[in-house]
Amino acid sequence: MRKKGLSFSLAIAFVLVATSLLMAQGAGDISQLARQNLRPYWHVFIAYILVWLILFGWVVSIARRLGRIERGLQGSGPPSGR
Amino acid sequence: MQLTGLRRTGVLLAIPGIALVLLLHWQVFFWVPTEVTMGVIQRIYYVHVPSAWVAFMAFGIVAACSAAYLWLGDERLDMAAVSAAEGGVLFTTIVLLTGPLWARTAWGTWWTWEPRLTSTLLLWFIYVGYLLLRGATDSPQRGKRFAAVLGILGILDIPLIHLSVTWFRSLHPQAVVMRPEGPQADPSMVITLLTGLAAFTLLFFAIMTYRYALERLTVERSTAFAGTPAPSVAGGGA
Amino acid sequence: MTAYLNQVRIIVWRDLTVELRSRERIAAMGGFAVLVAVLIYYAIDLTIVRPRDVAAGLIWMTILFSGMLGFGRAFAMDLEQDQLQGILLSPISRGAFYLGKTIANFALLTAVEALVFTVFGGFFNLSYGGTAWLIVAVVVATAGVAGLGTLLGAIAVHTRPSDSILPLLAFPLLIPLVIHAVMATGRLMAGRPPAEVGGNLRMLAAFAILFLAAGTVLFRYVVEE
Repeated sequence: MRKKGLSFSLAIAFVLVATSLLMAQGAGDISQLARQNLRPYWHVFIAYILVWLILFGWVVSIARRLGRIERGLQGSGPPSGR
Repeated sequence: MQLTGLRRTGVLLAIPGIALVLLLHWQVFFWVPTEVTMGVIQRIYYVHVPSAWVAFMAFGIVAACSAAYLWLGDERLDMAAVSAAEGGVLFTTIVLLTGPLWARTAWGTWWTWEPRLTSTLLLWFIYVGYLLLRGATDSPQRGKRFAAVLGILGILDIPLIHLSVTWFRSLHPQAVVMRPEGPQADPSMVITLLTGLAAFTLLFFAIMTYRYALERLTVERSTAFAGTPAPSVAGGGA
Repeated sequence: MTAYLNQVRIIVWRDLTVELRSRERIAAMGGFAVLVAVLIYYAIDLTIVRPRDVAAGLIWMTILFSGMLGFGRAFAMDLEQDQLQGILLSPISRGAFYLGKTIANFALLTAVEALVFTVFGGFFNLSYGGTAWLIVAVVVATAGVAGLGTLLGAIAVHTRPSDSILPLLAFPLLIPLVIHAVMATGRLMAGRPPAEVGGNLRMLAAFAILFLAAGTVLFRYVVEE
């Protein structure tokens, strides 16, 4: 279980930091250049969010699959000393 | 048990990886100058190119591990191959999603049948096929061998795919593909790109190690349920 | 070497005899191809589109789809009649087995192609210029399609969604080949000089060599128990 907790907290930490950085910068850009076309800014913003969502999703999916197997091993699996 | 070692390796890779990712964000959003002709949208480049690099590296790992798996029959090679393939598909997905976001502004269209786009899309399909194939057989051993064959076919086909699609749309202006290593590029852009490449490579290997541990546990569990003391894994280590 | 070629000949002969006797695959592929041609005739408005301009692409799509239909069945018939095991236990080498199957598939697909070109020629009033080079282009492209199709067909037959997975695996690898096949066929049909498609022919040859070589080497891992 410690493995899962560690990976979760790591994943959450980096996504939080990454998105907060993005948000701070995105807000700054928008206020400074409000009269310009904002579409490129949004696209950069969305691109970076997509990157971190996909990577985070991968980590979460692995964690979930690992959790399922570990539960299976503890519950119904044969006592194999693991 | 070896899973502890794997976990430690994963964390050891993840820590500098995450640090570099944070550095990359600081560089991309606060430090690197905006590209003159393309404007702010060029900043997508710093995740787009590293993703493409990681994807290609991952498919290279898939092919190398697949060939070695067919040759030596060591289960661990197959575990490495499937872990890399999953990452390769995800990073290709990132490439295919961030590319159009960039192209909408830079080229004025979401998608064109530009050689790089087409070959990336075909690659994505090939390795999605790889992942599908593993689960599509009744015998897991067979699925692994089939997938390995496809992994090798995929990498052999890449040069020909690229040549073919380049041929088909050779009129495409090559100048729009930016080359930060070119003479006009600001050194800070090159540094940012290198940070991105390092960060993504480390993150990829960190998560791949994690995924490898999952695959290993899955195989060990299935062999444990079958009542045999995981002969393939143990035999592979000999 | 002669022993190897003999083994290949045995497989080719066996497959073609089985096919001539049952006509199962050729009937399915041929019937399918003609029906696709009819569908295409009604799917495109001939008052807007000149059929000559799009014929090469449509012909190759028809060939590819009927090919997938046939290659999927190539090993399924052996498997259903429990003959695959027998061949694998016989002294015939895996490489020879693959090459024999590929040649039989190639012959089958060539027969279907002859039908497709005739039917499209009749339905859409096409004339085929530069016949000799056109045949070269089609034959080389077919060798590549058959080479890959046979290898992937052997894979697909052992999967649960065997019929639907073959095109999913084959098309991404085949699309680049089809690009050259369509370019070469289209230009030769339009009566352009063969020199113009020299590069396409070389690429088609490269695909054929790659797929046949990869198939010969990798086939043993596909049929291994």
